[in-house]
Amino acid sequence: MPEELLSRSFTLHSHDFDKAGETSTEIKGMLKELGIDSQVIRRVVVVCFEAEMNVVMYADEGTLTFVLTDEDIGIEIADRGPGIADLDRALEEGWSTATDEMREMGFGFGMGLPNIRRNSDTFDLRSEVGVGTTVTSRIRLDGVD
Amino acid sequence: MTEYAHGFLIREDDCTGCMACMRACPTDAIRVREGKARAINELCIDCGACLTMCAQGAILPTSRTLEEFADFAFKVAVPSPVLFGQFPLEVRPEHIVVGLLAVGFDAVWDFGVDLRLTTLAIADYVDKWSGPRPVISITCPVVVRLLQVSYPKLLEQLIRMKPPREIAGSEVKRHYSRELGLPEERIAAIYIAACQAKTVSIEQPAEGGRSALDGSVGIPQIYNSVLAAARDAAKNGESSGDLDPVRSVSMVSWSTPRPLADLPSRHRYMSVTGLPNVIRVLDDVEKGRLKNIDFLECSACWAGCGNGNLAVDNVYLSQAKLQTLARDLPDTDPRTEAEVARRYGHEDFSLERAPEPRTTVVVGDLRERVRRMQEAERILSVLPGLDCGLCGAPSCKVLAHDVTSGHASRDDCVFLSKRRVDELRRLYRRSK
Repeated sequence: MPEELLSRSFTLHSHDFDKAGETSTEIKGMLKELGIDSQVIRRVVVVCFEAEMNVVMYADEGTLTFVLTDEDIGIEIADRGPGIADLDRALEEGWSTATDEMREMGFGFGMGLPNIRRNSDTFDLRSEVGVGTTVTSRIRLDGVD
Repeated sequence: MTEYAHGFLIREDDCTGCMACMRACPTDAIRVREGKARAINELCIDCGACLTMCAQGAILPTSRTLEEFADFAFKVAVPSPVLFGQFPLEVRPEHIVVGLLAVGFDAVWDFGVDLRLTTLAIADYVDKWSGPRPVISITCPVVVRLLQVSYPKLLEQLIRMKPPREIAGSEVKRHYSRELGLPEERIAAIYIAACQAKTVSIEQPAEGGRSALDGSVGIPQIYNSVLAAARDAAKNGESSGDLDPVRSVSMVSWSTPRPLADLPSRHRYMSVTGLPNVIRVLDDVEKGRLKNIDFLECSACWAGCGNGNLAVDNVYLSQAKLQTLARDLPDTDPRTEAEVARRYGHEDFSLERAPEPRTTVVVGDLRERVRRMQEAERILSVLPGLDCGLCGAPSCKVLAHDVTSGHASRDDCVFLSKRRVDELRRLYRRSK
């Protein structure tokens, strides 16, 4: 059983495009300070950022929980929001329900969840329509792409 | 571990310990101990913010003089495009060439050709690049060093191509060796630099190995003498034989905030200037946000290379002069294109090796490092959070880290220790 070394929780606010990305920047700073391999850091940053953006764009509120063990990094993003009706489609590259406004801001290309999955060693997506979505990603510390 | 060479020298006798440099440093590479500024070698990226901020003139560029190149048989100046915006308008580029010859150079290199070659090679490179985008420019040595220190993973997006000054350096050697029948090592290729970072990158290239250039001379080193001779040339209508170094717009654009004005429009090109902006943009690249950009040019100096710390004139003035100069210029010219046609495809512009991340020493296993980080957070929570700098570190956060790594004591904080207040009184007493 991997030993938990550090755990942090961040609140993510919906529609807060201004502050979007701050959590992933903070996590990056922390991992850099801990001397984590830069390849692993980049994958964690992409996962956190995409997940953060999903909450900002679609949900009402969310929590990002970050757990470092001696083997891997776990990231769980749980939101309260509309949920995803078709999980398989949501994981298709290029499929998006983003509004024109979001696309104008450079988001909503349908790469969010596929990107999270691609950068994870294990990935899990659960959702209940009208309740919310939980994305779980684990990235191994010794892992490679 | 590599000893990093830097282009600055802190003259202790002149340093008043005022902390201006420490507060200005973007990588937190300066501490003030015993009332004197000290640089942390591995963290310094040679941006020159400290040198610009130091009101005492205690931080000096370690420039070389032209005399130091006396042993070479033939000395060729490779002038930064910035140089041509540093003189009064009536002193035209061809007069500046006369000035350079007057101060002791044997020839002045037609650098616009290398700049044009660079643009073409970048366009080709970007077309063929299948890795993550954007491809990042290698021209600004500060940005390369910033990647090495703070964005090691982005080094794979750094273009594996020599910067234009290096492309010029190799060709200078080949050209004059052939023309004069001298061995290449007897010919000096000397860059006329508008910033100290270029000097450092020539003395110690970020990718290791040796620069094709033999060194550099900062603009201020030769400015007055070049100006005097160039003014005379302008007055007497004397010109530099057949070399007009500023014949097309591309030579001018390289000292503006958008250097690659001639990059083909099929490439989505973004140019960012000023270190804080560069850092913001690189953070976005790291998050995967700028994949739609093909080529990213980053310049550490606000408003681009024209604002380098060895430029003499105010950047807005010099750019206005260059714009006036560029008004009548074509995008390119037959002479440049002929040289480009002769050289392109025959020269290897690729970097032999890529710059590696700077290794910061990682002490202890992960468990130990987590413990230290948590310890630093605990210390930070009792510090005032004012970032006053009186402890000798640029911020409370940095002090907290210095304490956990054993380089400082929490008693260095004036809020936590009367001893520190007394010590500062002693160090900074103005009258004895």
